Amino acid sequence: MTTARNVQTASPARPELAAGSRWSWLLRRREILVSAAIVVVVAASTAAHPYFWSSSNIAFIFADSVVIAFLALGESFVMLGRGIDLSVGAIMGLSAIVVGFRIQNDGMTLLPAVALGAVVGLVLGLGNAVLVGVVRLPPIIATLGTLSVYSGLEFVVTNGNQVDTIPSSMTNLGSDTVLPGIPVILLLTLPFVLVSALVLRHTRFGRSIYAVGDDAEAAYRAGIGVQRVLFSTYLICGVLSGLGGVAFLIYTSGASSTTGLGDNLTAIAAAIIGGTALTGGVGGAFGALVGSVFLTVTLTAMSFAHVADVWQPAGVGVLVLLAVVYDSRSRRRGGRVWRGPKRQRQRGAS
Amino acid sequence: MTTLDLPRRWRVPAWGLCLLVAIVAELAYFTLTTRQFAGHGTGMLALSEQFAPTGILAMGLAMVILTGNIDLSCGASASLAAVIAGTVLEKGGSPVEAILLAIAVSTVFGLCNGVIVAYVGIDSLLVTLATQFIITSIATSVAGASPPFGFPGSFTLIGQGAINGVPIALEIFLVIALVVIVTVGYTNVGRSMTLIGYNLRAAEYTGIPIRRTLTAVFTLCGAASGVAGVLLAAYYNSAQPDIGTDLLLPAITAVILGGMDIFGGRGRIGEVVLAVILLGYMSQGMLIEGDSSLAITMITGLVLIGALVIKFAFERNLRQRLAARMQRLRTLSGGAHS
Repeated sequence: MTTARNVQTASPARPELAAGSRWSWLLRRREILVSAAIVVVVAASTAAHPYFWSSSNIAFIFADSVVIAFLALGESFVMLGRGIDLSVGAIMGLSAIVVGFRIQNDGMTLLPAVALGAVVGLVLGLGNAVLVGVVRLPPIIATLGTLSVYSGLEFVVTNGNQVDTIPSSMTNLGSDTVLPGIPVILLLTLPFVLVSALVLRHTRFGRSIYAVGDDAEAAYRAGIGVQRVLFSTYLICGVLSGLGGVAFLIYTSGASSTTGLGDNLTAIAAAIIGGTALTGGVGGAFGALVGSVFLTVTLTAMSFAHVADVWQPAGVGVLVLLAVVYDSRSRRRGGRVWRGPKRQRQRGAS
Repeated sequence: MTTLDLPRRWRVPAWGLCLLVAIVAELAYFTLTTRQFAGHGTGMLALSEQFAPTGILAMGLAMVILTGNIDLSCGASASLAAVIAGTVLEKGGSPVEAILLAIAVSTVFGLCNGVIVAYVGIDSLLVTLATQFIITSIATSVAGASPPFGFPGSFTLIGQGAINGVPIALEIFLVIALVVIVTVGYTNVGRSMTLIGYNLRAAEYTGIPIRRTLTAVFTLCGAASGVAGVLLAAYYNSAQPDIGTDLLLPAITAVILGGMDIFGGRGRIGEVVLAVILLGYMSQGMLIEGDSSLAITMITGLVLIGALVIKFAFERNLRQRLAARMQRLRTLSGGAHS
């Protein structure tokens, strides 16, 4: 694709980075910057509390960040196309409930469970995709509506029950480690991140997401089916959120009617911290993973430093503010909807 | 000063009429099907005190959304105000002190949002996403392990009491609504808000004090959240730290259902008030019929999506088709009349 702008160009507001010293590209890659921040936080926490650098704690951090990573990954696809999806947490919760009941009552095994989670996510994502891609509602409104609907559905589906007996063959995936500090569930997540990164970076479809997010009008004129691209980003987001639901089941070994209700904004926060801009066209799949891990590392470090749990949301908030203040690109408005090519609009108006 | 005296162009508020008809139909339906709904003489009115806080929050949000911004932190601000009012009362402060301090704190947080959005220039969605997390933490921390409850009657009166059968909460909501309607529709500040939302660049060239106006709007939204929080604490006679957080989505829903353009510049506060009443009575009516609150959330979401799909379809297609038809009629009848 020649239309997609190189996404790693320095922002003009930071000329000192654009000046191109030998190592400046490192500062421009948010994934690397955040990884460095992770190392700093881990080093500082380990210096204060040696237990922080134990394999069980590292494994806990990775396992804890997997669910948010799935949601942030899905959110990245949507945000790259200059949209926003407020319903990822509800999709995750609904998928966890539906899959969890099948596992609990019918003894479903892992692979069918993953497939079912993906299908549930696909169906729920289809709702968003139709509202944004076909009906052309502004994404923030459409997904606000579906958030209400899906979280209500969660309650209707559970009908007062909850999922609490997941066989240990599954939950072990969240606690067992392959190498010291690397839980199985992380290895199961990595393929999705890798495939997403490949799709985003090296396929025509992936590049057109960037193009649409950067400038929908230009993308349209370059011959990209803008609405079709937007439609698919919400579908993909739904599927990944549905998979996140299965990861949630494996990690927490249960689900209830309120599962995921607080995770919508956390997922957006993780994606933003990982360098995906709300204004579209900037960011990537690895950023979502790194952002989620950074979020979990920081929150774990906070609890190691005996900061009360009630301040954890504040930690998320401060990280988002820092990420946003660092990134001058966030000073444009995101979540807009593309309402068709300009020429047609003018003709319609006159 | 030379003022161009143009005749005021008055459009029929079509969306407002739709909402009004829906309210009448809804009230009629619930009155016919559920006997308690209209019972106890003022049953219908008394129910309104449950959605008055949501309405007040929606009034603050409506102004923010009118300028093309959004405030995700107002629900958390309401929680914080409720918790602070409760804590002051628990420590033996008078209700007046509690109310003033609560509203002052949430106003200050609104001011912070406004300053960051207007002077640092970061998108409000991101700023308030972050401050929402921070304010939630503060509220939880202030509330502590055992959130305050059991307030003196003079305080709970504003949430539960009534004057001549009209709930005080409803009166507060209506007064605030009136103030916002007048501010937005009939003052310079209101015109500035609308223009900023409609076309930021044009507003800049016009010389409107954009930053000051934006700061003021967010501050007002913070103040409105404070009032909503105080009413919540008074109504429930307790101050849980998540008491106002659940009001964020209903408030945004009401603003959008009220025809406010999410990207700013278009919308009428009066229609938002109607949407608040419509949604409020809908959820109260369904609660009385025995539906759970989450099922109501679901219906609210469906109503929002359905209403907007209809509205967007109307705006996009019907208006164009109507215009074309009017054009044809005009050319046809033009010769006959003249």
